[in-house]
Amino acid sequence: MEYIIHLAILVGIYLILAQSFNLTIGLGRMFNLAHVASYALGAYVTALASTELEMGFGRCLISSALVSGLFAILLGGIALRLAGDYFAIGTLAFASIVSALLINWKSVTKGVLGIPGIPRPEIGGVALYDNLQFGYVVGVLVIVSLTVLYFVFSSPFGRVLRGQAEDQLAMMALGRDVRLINTLGFFIASAFAGVAGALFAYYINYIDPSSFSFSEMVFLVTIVVVGSPGSFWGCVVATFFLVLLPEPLRFVDLPSSILGPMRQLLHSIVLLSVVWFNRAKLFPAQREV
Amino acid sequence: MSREIQDATLWGMDIVPQLLVNAIITGSIYALVAVGFSLTYGVLKILNFAHGHLMMTGAYLFYFFTVESALSVPTAALATCAATLVIALLTLLIFVNPFDRYSPMLPLVTTLALATILESCVSMIFGVNVKALDSGSSAESIQFGSVFITPLQVVIAVTALMMLVLIAFLMHSTSFGRRVRAMSERLAAAQALAINSPAMKGLVFTLGTVLSVYAGIMIGYETNLQPTMGHGYTMKALAAMILGGLGNLWGTILGCYTLGVLENFAVGLDFGAYSLPAGYKDAFAYFIILVVLLIRPEGLLSFRRRVA
Repeated sequence: MEYIIHLAILVGIYLILAQSFNLTIGLGRMFNLAHVASYALGAYVTALASTELEMGFGRCLISSALVSGLFAILLGGIALRLAGDYFAIGTLAFASIVSALLINWKSVTKGVLGIPGIPRPEIGGVALYDNLQFGYVVGVLVIVSLTVLYFVFSSPFGRVLRGQAEDQLAMMALGRDVRLINTLGFFIASAFAGVAGALFAYYINYIDPSSFSFSEMVFLVTIVVVGSPGSFWGCVVATFFLVLLPEPLRFVDLPSSILGPMRQLLHSIVLLSVVWFNRAKLFPAQREV
Repeated sequence: MSREIQDATLWGMDIVPQLLVNAIITGSIYALVAVGFSLTYGVLKILNFAHGHLMMTGAYLFYFFTVESALSVPTAALATCAATLVIALLTLLIFVNPFDRYSPMLPLVTTLALATILESCVSMIFGVNVKALDSGSSAESIQFGSVFITPLQVVIAVTALMMLVLIAFLMHSTSFGRRVRAMSERLAAAQALAINSPAMKGLVFTLGTVLSVYAGIMIGYETNLQPTMGHGYTMKALAAMILGGLGNLWGTILGCYTLGVLENFAVGLDFGAYSLPAGYKDAFAYFIILVVLLIRPEGLLSFRRRVA
């Protein structure tokens, strides 16, 4: 039972994280490789705020979302001026700077040692050390976040985001400020990634830079690609599928040094085969006039 | 107080020749890694995010042949070369060629998948711990005035220079090089002139991968090998490429040595309270990417405007 609750919480965190990633890479087709950096920032802000400043649950969540959101505005301000490969490189550079800061800014982030002892949130004076109770809180937050994201996906704003992915010039000709809309999309996606990071920090109680590595980003790309980029429900199904996929490996008697890479290998093979079979439909090039 | 500051500046000046030597060695390694990356971008028009991981895999193969199979170094080098050729061709056939005509975003995704596949395979086979190639007596440093240098580092710098001369000859004095330059300048026109593009792609990609594997082996001798090292070197090659202009070969090579100088001097020089801790050496390269992208996205050496 404890194991099932653990999986449910994990799936919940990844639902928020992957769906917000889907907003930029899927709907907006902006190959943003810095989403894990937003997630990491959210986790670190909550970790620091709850241990050093002893802030409450609500305040931690909001500050995580805000810091990640502000990061996205900075990122968007630089990267959205670029196109194609340059955009991917710019966001990747941003992500690498964040991970270098997490490792090297030892006076704040404690470097590779990570931040231990993050307390579980208190709601109504009760600390949620029981995973089931914490799971309910995560569940509520997942439903709220997904509902908001669903409305973003189907709102006029979401349609413009989808439209600029297909034909940026046409959207500009229709009088939409594409740069502003993309930045806003970045902000929303990144703020939700911050919330996911905060929940992750609360749940695991201990964070270190290795949770926010390059392979974590490839995992997010895998979820979005498997669920068909830009599709809301596809992404939800893919999150369940991919988070749970490597779990049977746990019951095979494997040393943990093999287990981690094995999980990565499994995910990347799924990614490759999905791209292989859907190559004509995924990420169609911008329409030529 | 003033005495201390004076000492610090004196020490700071004294270290310059050593830093310069270190910069040349770092730059040589980056150049060996980045040449393949730049050529691939020029001819195939893809950013190969797995480039550093291919390098890492090749270096591990060399480790396997020399240390674990106890082959002699020349035999091991030949075997690594052959294995690298096979891996590079398979990469092209499975991860690049089926995708690049559909969307420019697909190769980004597939090379990301390749990167994690290689990283996870190597960590399953060899373990995640650091492996070292034994360089024997050539790692003992020799002193020239205030500069320390090992024979191995001389080998790295000299062979890198030789490779670059070879590449220069290949690019500017043979028909192969003319075709490569034509393809990276304008692919459609090159194809219209019946420059055989699939075979050329294969040649260029394998050449670039073999060069970077050579760099990987040198890194293994100079420092050590780790399954996670690939991404860092991909980023360094990217930074050098951004400095010199995407797909601009000589710009990229100049960018590599510039990056070597900037990194070593930024971390090595003593700026008193403003000194950078050594850990920020890598972050510096990423910062350069952002600054160049902001002020001159077409690259510092490129005279053509970027077509975005």
